[in-house]
Amino acid sequence: MKKSLLILISLLVIASMLMAACAPKAEPVEEAAPAEEAEPVEEAEPVEEAEPAEKVKIRWFVGLGTGANPEHIPGQEEVIARFNESQDKIELVVEFVENSQAPDQLKTQIAAGDPPDIIGPVGQSGTNEFSGLFLDLEPYLGELDWDDFDADSIDAYRLEGEGLLGLPFAVFPSMIYYNADLFDEAGLAYPPQTYGEAYADGDPWTVDKMEELAMLLTVDANGNDATSEDFDPDNIVQFGYHSQWTDPRGQAAALFGADNVVDADGNAVLSERWRTAFTWYYEGMHEKSFMPNTTYQESDLLAAGNPFDSGNIAMAHCHLWYTCCLGNVPNWDMAVVPSYNDAGDVTVKLHADTFRIFASTEHPEEAVEVLTYLTGEAAGDLLQIYGGMPGRKSLQDAFFVGMDETFTQGVNWDVGIQGLAYPDVPNHESNLPNYAKAYDRIGAFQTLYESTPDLDINAELDQLVSDLQAIFDEVK
Amino acid sequence: MTVGTKPTSPTLSKRLRPIIAGASLTLFTLLFLMTYLSPFGYMTVTAIKDRSMIADPDAPILPSREATFTYDGQEMAIYLVPTEDGDFNEWAMLKKGREESTFIDPNNPEAGPIEWVGRWRTLDRVWSISPVWENFSEAWTGLNMTRLLRNTIVIAVAGSIGTLISCTVVAYGFSRFRIPGKNLLFMALISTIILPEFVTIVPTYVVFERIGWIGTWLPLIVPHFFANAYNVFLLRQFFMTIPRELDEAAMIDGASPIRVLFSVILPQSIPALVAVGMFHFMFAWNDFFAPLLYLSTERELQPISIGIQLYNARFFAQPHMIQASSLLGLLVPVIIFFLAQRVFMQGIVFTGVEK
Amino acid sequence: MSTMFSEFTLKNLKFTREKLSKLARREANWGLVFLSPWIIGFFLWKFLPMVASLVFSLTSFNLLHREDIQWAGLENYQHFFSDPLVGVAVKVSLTFALIALPIGIIQPILMAALLNQKNLKMKRILITLFYMPKIVPLVSAVYIWQGVLNARTGWVNIALESIGIPGPDWINTVTWIYPALVMIGLWGVGDMLLYTLATIQGIPTELYEAARVDGAGSFATFRHITIPMITPIIFYNMVLSSIGILMYFLVPFVLKGPNGDPGNATWFYGMYLYKEAFAYSDMGMGATMAWMLFLFAILVTVILFSTQKYWVYYAAEEA
Repeated sequence: MKKSLLILISLLVIASMLMAACAPKAEPVEEAAPAEEAEPVEEAEPVEEAEPAEKVKIRWFVGLGTGANPEHIPGQEEVIARFNESQDKIELVVEFVENSQAPDQLKTQIAAGDPPDIIGPVGQSGTNEFSGLFLDLEPYLGELDWDDFDADSIDAYRLEGEGLLGLPFAVFPSMIYYNADLFDEAGLAYPPQTYGEAYADGDPWTVDKMEELAMLLTVDANGNDATSEDFDPDNIVQFGYHSQWTDPRGQAAALFGADNVVDADGNAVLSERWRTAFTWYYEGMHEKSFMPNTTYQESDLLAAGNPFDSGNIAMAHCHLWYTCCLGNVPNWDMAVVPSYNDAGDVTVKLHADTFRIFASTEHPEEAVEVLTYLTGEAAGDLLQIYGGMPGRKSLQDAFFVGMDETFTQGVNWDVGIQGLAYPDVPNHESNLPNYAKAYDRIGAFQTLYESTPDLDINAELDQLVSDLQAIFDEVK
Repeated sequence: MTVGTKPTSPTLSKRLRPIIAGASLTLFTLLFLMTYLSPFGYMTVTAIKDRSMIADPDAPILPSREATFTYDGQEMAIYLVPTEDGDFNEWAMLKKGREESTFIDPNNPEAGPIEWVGRWRTLDRVWSISPVWENFSEAWTGLNMTRLLRNTIVIAVAGSIGTLISCTVVAYGFSRFRIPGKNLLFMALISTIILPEFVTIVPTYVVFERIGWIGTWLPLIVPHFFANAYNVFLLRQFFMTIPRELDEAAMIDGASPIRVLFSVILPQSIPALVAVGMFHFMFAWNDFFAPLLYLSTERELQPISIGIQLYNARFFAQPHMIQASSLLGLLVPVIIFFLAQRVFMQGIVFTGVEK
Repeated sequence: MSTMFSEFTLKNLKFTREKLSKLARREANWGLVFLSPWIIGFFLWKFLPMVASLVFSLTSFNLLHREDIQWAGLENYQHFFSDPLVGVAVKVSLTFALIALPIGIIQPILMAALLNQKNLKMKRILITLFYMPKIVPLVSAVYIWQGVLNARTGWVNIALESIGIPGPDWINTVTWIYPALVMIGLWGVGDMLLYTLATIQGIPTELYEAARVDGAGSFATFRHITIPMITPIIFYNMVLSSIGILMYFLVPFVLKGPNGDPGNATWFYGMYLYKEAFAYSDMGMGATMAWMLFLFAILVTVILFSTQKYWVYYAAEEA
């Protein structure tokens, strides 16, 4: 009996606790539906003025782009701690959410009316879904040193009708990462490190030339390369080339020029050179075998999803941020992106990350103060953490000194800086009508052609275009 | 002779038979278990591999290290290079080449580099088993495991207590009392787990936000004191297997319903109660979305599932760390499970009856 | 006499009835007291969000633009019935349910029977080991299986090749993805195994002793005592697995991404629902899909409950 009484009493206590907790806001009933809330902005400000001791909480959401990997976190926490120590007015609170979870998490917060103030670092693709929700920074940035930024890169964040949505923080040019040991083993000269320069044998550095090398650098377990008659495509142990961690638009833009799948009128299109691009990737995976198909990409041979770092890929196209995830290949370096035609034209697809503020923030001034801290004073430290090249000119030298400390083999970082001269316009991550659905459809195409041999790639491309048209039409 | 052995042989075989049966049964179960758990073996092996071994196509399945020889300050892998008489030389690889490579003889480095014509990929290497236990310590510190364990245990234990108490009480109500509209109520109970939570997450978040519980453990603990369909249904099913005569007898003796619960139902249901406790504990241990939602700004309060998820990040791509961190996360639940299931075994030990 | 007698009986009857209903009321009241934690909890945490989601299904609620929420009437439901992708999703989910459900129901019984053998040694360790995969976090588990089932480097195909069978590409072909998913599903059997074992432990020993006296063998006692006695837990598993499989999608989602690959083979209803609600931020459509699923699952549940009386044995059956 005693026991049962105890349980009943504890139940009652808990129930009463709950009632007490609910009491001040007795009617969650109507409020639970996401109807309009009373504007909290007006309430918040007087409170803040009345009580200066109370710090304004600014929430910073990390994970929509890079930043939430385990090795990223301690450094960022230090940056935050330093900011909070220096402040008596603002308390910066961070939330790290793993990249695949981040959009859902953020959407729930937004839908529930409890969004963070700042998000980032985040690139174009991470923000497409949230377009229209960001704050115009222009009115808050009066005394900023505008000369420290490249004017073009500032303009990239100015959107018509929405204003200035971010400050250039990190740029990540792309390049060819190559594994020098594998070139040595094959007795091949390294690819060129200056744009416009030819390959060692005098041939121009083109996609065709790169494919030629990649075939020689693709080897099966018996040591036959992909050009050999004895080559066994089911038993490959080393691949020549891989376009790492990008979607079809990225793959096409990486080597075949900047285009988009939507034209100015909102219609689905596919340029000839992109058609060539996808055919090239498809054949490279399933017929010539110098690129890993899905099965190989997922295998332990390619480190279950981090192909170049497995040490079994000779060349991989990726961005500067890939330095995040390199730890297993001792002698890697960078080479320039090959040109896609005999005229020597080249596109170096570019990622640019920034921080953004939600227009719904209750404390825009404080949020902007945090944002200028993150893109200014703290930028040097943060960029080392993320592996991003500084958007501010004054920080760039220090950045590469720091990178050399991490990668002691001597990396030619200049390849990245040169690449900034050939950005992809339109950007391969630019927004699409009905973005989430269009993006999924393009993603489905990628899985299809990367995993399926015996595909009629041209028919699939036609199907892709007509499906995209239907998706775009949904929102017209 | 035959006469003499006759009386002993039946007793002998009688004694032997269960031993043989037990042995073969155990053997069969072990074989089955090995198949069933082979992915787990893959997990463990991956967790204690060196990062570079995972992608090495020639590396053995078990975590190994290649034998090396240090020459000129550099570590060179040792290969088995065939000699003309069918034997092997253990030479260290100095420089790989597609069709010919340069080796050095570790026994005679002064002799200088040896050119060898042939494909190095067809050669075997010398391996020694070498598990990398440091992966665990790296994951332990990287995750801040002590903090995560403390948080998770508090959340899981508190929730388990709440679930056990409330679900027992409610299941007792559903299984033993005639209540008007009971079937309807029971369907309402089941319906709470039928509606996919994706569509209730936002309003639920709003409810917790309104009562100021975001950033606290309360949303992860308190609701469990109000019973949930999975466990009420389970316990109800279990209570329904206990014959009514027992509680009716107690009732006639003047026992109150509470008394019946404690003196009749609970003693019979200990395995089921432990199962429910375990179920909730494991659920709370792995529950990921809700803690992330309610504790995203409070890293100090986050449970282990969130820490492990960070290691599972899409672009982190370090299989050995993913599995090492997951294995660390398993440790406590497995120990608790091992201890708790003593309760299941009691029945067998005490009754000695095969069921 | 006769009138007196009849009066007496009548009085008596009245008295009994009154007493009964008083007892019944008392019983119902006690019952409600015991149910109260759940009833209170239901109204505190469940009821509002459920109603809210029903309301969402009648609106154009977009997660990112809550201020633009518009009344949509039955538009979402109309779209539901005209969207061919819903049809694909329903077909995929039902097909997979047909394959996976029977296995999911039978496997824990067989495993429990095995682990309950008297002659089996090391039971505690064995049960722990069989339960263990259940504790592996979903994402790690999927990574493990992705590794094990990889057509090139996976253990399954290495094992198959060692006995001369060329292994298929499990997770990238339409033919093999369901067997692969079923295999992964077998790993999650721990809880049901545990419940079945717990129920077996609760069966009165006398039943077995009596059967043994009658000369029944192991199989006969299992068939005629154990199985009937654990029908309540089989029923539990059946109901929850049916509900669970209608919402199933997380494993293929982590394994193959959000697009139903390969082909449309993993375009599960749950996947589409989740995507409408979150990936496309269209909570109105997501809620519609959720409530359609709800209706269907309730129907299935009610049907399953109505079959109880034919095969589920409750020792404490109500009169």
